[in-house]
Amino acid sequence: MDWEAYIRDAERDYGNAHTLEELSEVNVKYQGRKSPLKLQLREVRDRETGQLLNGVRARLEELEREAESRVGALQLESALQEKVDITLPARLLGDVRPRPRGHLHPTTLIRRDVEDAFIGLGYEIRDDREIETLEYNFDKLAFPPWHPARSPRDTYFLDANSVLRTETSASQIHIMEEKKPPIYMVSIGRVYRRDAITPTRFPIFHQFEGLAVDRHITLADLKGTLLHVMRALFGEDRRVRFRTHYFPFTEPSIEPDVSCGVCGGEGCPTCKFSGWIEIGGAGMVDPQVFTNVGLDPQEWSGFAFGLGLERAAQLRYDIATIRPFWEDDLRFLEQF
Amino acid sequence: MKVPMSWLREYVRASASTEEIADLLSVATAEVNGIERRGPGDTSLFTVGRVLTADKHPNADRLQLCTVDVGGGRTAQIVCGAWNFGAGATVAVALPGATLPNGLTLERRELRGQTSEGMILAEDELDLGTDHEGIMVLADEHAPGTPLIDVLPIVEEILDIEPTGNRPDLYSVYGIAREVAALFDGELVPLSDADPPLAGDERLDIRIEDYDGCPRYVGRLFRDVKIAPSPVWLQARLRDAGVRAISNVVDVTNYVMLALGNPLHAFDFDSLEGGRIVVRRARKAEKLTTLDGLRRDLDPSDLVIADAKRSVALAGIMGGEETEVTAATTNVLLEAANFEPVGILRSSERLALRTEGSNRWEKGVDPYLAAPAATLATRLILELTSARWTAAADVHEELPLRRTIPFRPAWTNEKLGLEVAAERQEAILAKLGFDPDGDGFRVPTWRARDVTREIDLVEEVARFVLGEIPFTLPMRDVSFGRLTREQRIKRIVEDVLVGCGYSEAYTPTFPVTADTVMLRTAIVPSLVEAARHNLSVDNTGVALFEIARVFVAEERRHVAGVVEGGIADAKWAVEQIYAALKLEPAYERTSEPFLHPGKAARTAEGWVGELHPNELDGAWGAFEVDLDALAAAAPAAVRATDVSPFPELRQDLAFVVDEDVPAAALETVIRETGGPELRDVSVFDEYRGEQIGAGKRSLAFRVAFGSAERTLSDDDVAPLRQRIVGALRERFGAELRA
Repeated sequence: MDWEAYIRDAERDYGNAHTLEELSEVNVKYQGRKSPLKLQLREVRDRETGQLLNGVRARLEELEREAESRVGALQLESALQEKVDITLPARLLGDVRPRPRGHLHPTTLIRRDVEDAFIGLGYEIRDDREIETLEYNFDKLAFPPWHPARSPRDTYFLDANSVLRTETSASQIHIMEEKKPPIYMVSIGRVYRRDAITPTRFPIFHQFEGLAVDRHITLADLKGTLLHVMRALFGEDRRVRFRTHYFPFTEPSIEPDVSCGVCGGEGCPTCKFSGWIEIGGAGMVDPQVFTNVGLDPQEWSGFAFGLGLERAAQLRYDIATIRPFWEDDLRFLEQF
Repeated sequence: MKVPMSWLREYVRASASTEEIADLLSVATAEVNGIERRGPGDTSLFTVGRVLTADKHPNADRLQLCTVDVGGGRTAQIVCGAWNFGAGATVAVALPGATLPNGLTLERRELRGQTSEGMILAEDELDLGTDHEGIMVLADEHAPGTPLIDVLPIVEEILDIEPTGNRPDLYSVYGIAREVAALFDGELVPLSDADPPLAGDERLDIRIEDYDGCPRYVGRLFRDVKIAPSPVWLQARLRDAGVRAISNVVDVTNYVMLALGNPLHAFDFDSLEGGRIVVRRARKAEKLTTLDGLRRDLDPSDLVIADAKRSVALAGIMGGEETEVTAATTNVLLEAANFEPVGILRSSERLALRTEGSNRWEKGVDPYLAAPAATLATRLILELTSARWTAAADVHEELPLRRTIPFRPAWTNEKLGLEVAAERQEAILAKLGFDPDGDGFRVPTWRARDVTREIDLVEEVARFVLGEIPFTLPMRDVSFGRLTREQRIKRIVEDVLVGCGYSEAYTPTFPVTADTVMLRTAIVPSLVEAARHNLSVDNTGVALFEIARVFVAEERRHVAGVVEGGIADAKWAVEQIYAALKLEPAYERTSEPFLHPGKAARTAEGWVGELHPNELDGAWGAFEVDLDALAAAAPAAVRATDVSPFPELRQDLAFVVDEDVPAAALETVIRETGGPELRDVSVFDEYRGEQIGAGKRSLAFRVAFGSAERTLSDDDVAPLRQRIVGALRERFGAELRA
């Protein structure tokens, strides 16, 4: 066998292959199971011949790779030459394949439930900007100078004066500056906190924040409102309790707990055997916040609360970690 | 904050159980994350023993064979590996049947041919420390048979409490005790302010140069200090509170910090140049090696403790290595100071150095606390180190006066929506240290920072009655309960896309793992990433959409999608969105680097096309449309027209035109020339072939004519049809196919 001639022929044929089909034919001819090369390789009994044939094989593989990339480039080029009349309706542009209906993300499902629950209570819904000034994100909400959220360690600063909002609370200030009470409002949207990514934390999440400002609003009204919302989100059999807490923009501040849906309050691993699940924060609007927006704290009273949508979705749908919320895996999404 | 219950109960007498205390603290004071339990579950088989004999084990060189009086006239033979004791020693014994904290249950067993009935215990076996060098030798005053639990803190319950940032007073066992006393109507043991007598009249040279940063500095000098390990009870408490035991003096400073909340520091007095303390800001380019061994560059904003020559500690954050108390120390200067919070916070942030001390200072510690803290530390140092106390100083300017806040019980009830009797409100406040003063209350010094207004007093009452407050809803005379137009449109678009087979994605606004925040200006790149993930796990039929804000000159809401298939699949979805919003967009050819150059269209509000083959394997459609612009363009209201009783006349017209004439251009001309009777026109077929000729194609339109007055005949529409054909021929050279 004249292997130099074999290589020369192969060089010519690989060079002439312009489509994937042609390339595949050339491959069969020179490297296929029944090609002279493969047949000979099976017969090899001495090292010298073996080395020679291996050299031939290496060269052929090199030729194949070159041809492959050339054919690929040609194909791409010809694909990019295609041009359609983009003014045609979709069904004339190609096959529009029928698809089974898609699925809303659990975060959206919870968002809609929150919207519906509060529309039922006579609240308006807001969707405010995500870039906030320090004034609206912190100052007017009465964050003290020492508050850790003011640090670039906890908060994404875009420049010296603006941040990605750390909570939806700035909406409280916006609405109180835009209109006079009575105010009944829920703001829903993305918030941002610098956080390591863990099974329970992601630096971006969604909150809904409620604000009621009227004459004679009481802490009892806040308790009743949150009970309504918890039951709307998690079921009519839920109980709610409240614990004291601290937030800069509310006084008194409380944290609501909802009775555990897994054990019904008996105690289980999900609720760390307490029977209660922590969810969100709340309180009576701090008089300083009223003063900051030009409302008289002796005349007006109000409450505010905030909860995480993902957290609510986790509880509602029994989702163990935060990871699937941002992975967008269809195997997850199709469950909703 | 970890609070050992035995320590807590030293400060408060209350009959409530640990669980009851944890539950009520959680509701009214600060979250209790849990109750840890240390030590054996059953302590009855742990006892004091006295070693009667201790000899080498006959069959093992490294073991001792002991007989131990375990009380009640009983003697146990025990094989032991330690050699730090002999006959006569008083020891801790676990008898057969006892279960050690590590879960091991002891049995009577043979050890090298000798029976061993139990174990003589080392610290680590009881979870009291880490020491396994030798067994614990107890004081001889304890009689054999005394339950070990009466002698050593072998069991402990520890509350893991998470105080909020506004309550520095709760970062101490005493502060928690004060709450427990108020919540359970218990008795709070008063802090002793009685100092032991001074054993000397030395003068301390302490100067504060910056009273803003350091309002107070209590210094005390101890001589002839014997540095040694702390006793077991002290080590156990520190350990239970999460602090490592080091040596008696250092342990005392930590103990007092945990007990009262005032961080302390101890200097090796002999290493202080000139025996002097100066509290000042750091000098330019000054450096200090802190206790963790790091050489730190100080900033002129950092508050330091200095001696006559150099800085020796980062005030409130960490001591310096050169003046550290070591085993060789004999004279100790104790610092019980008060530091202002924000400066400590800034320095600890700048240096990325957070300590138990800085964590308390940055929340604001009561300046009145320095004195009782110094007193408690003095008593303990004298007790544990046999030192002499030879000098004292208390340097401060005027300390803040207690403020009186007006208080109206009726206003509290108004805020709560609950009637709480005035007497009960006042009793709650009094228990917490608020003293009645005219129409108001005087705030205790340890609450001066967080209680400054009447509403803060309301909160004090509220947290005690939270469970009693009823569930009500606000009285309303107006309602805002409806979605805005934009919100309804958002829902419509979501539903349309779900109907088209798209599932909803949520993707990050910026690459969250990157150091700098690069806000996105479009959603599709993130959706391509999500599609890539789905391909990597072999998901098929991928179609994803997202509605989110993007950040261009201003924030805009966009809707975007990617779909396996091609431009047809993407454009179908876009057409449905526009149709749902009653919009009829004009599509124009466009180009983007990430789109196929021949399959990309734009509308006034966005674009749709096929992804460039380099973006994803296979053919993918994609679109991104400004949702705010869609909402602005969408007609505000639908105005219905009556359906005509006369059927429409439909005709199909096919035209041959040059390849590059867009179908939409023909359609526009048909609409313009079709007259008022033209009701609808749509392209329904595109054809290329030999009969048509190269560079040409045929486009077929279905045209509908109608009238509100009568049924139209072919003759009626013939002139209209002629007009259309003529116009298309004139404008585009289009020929009607027969």
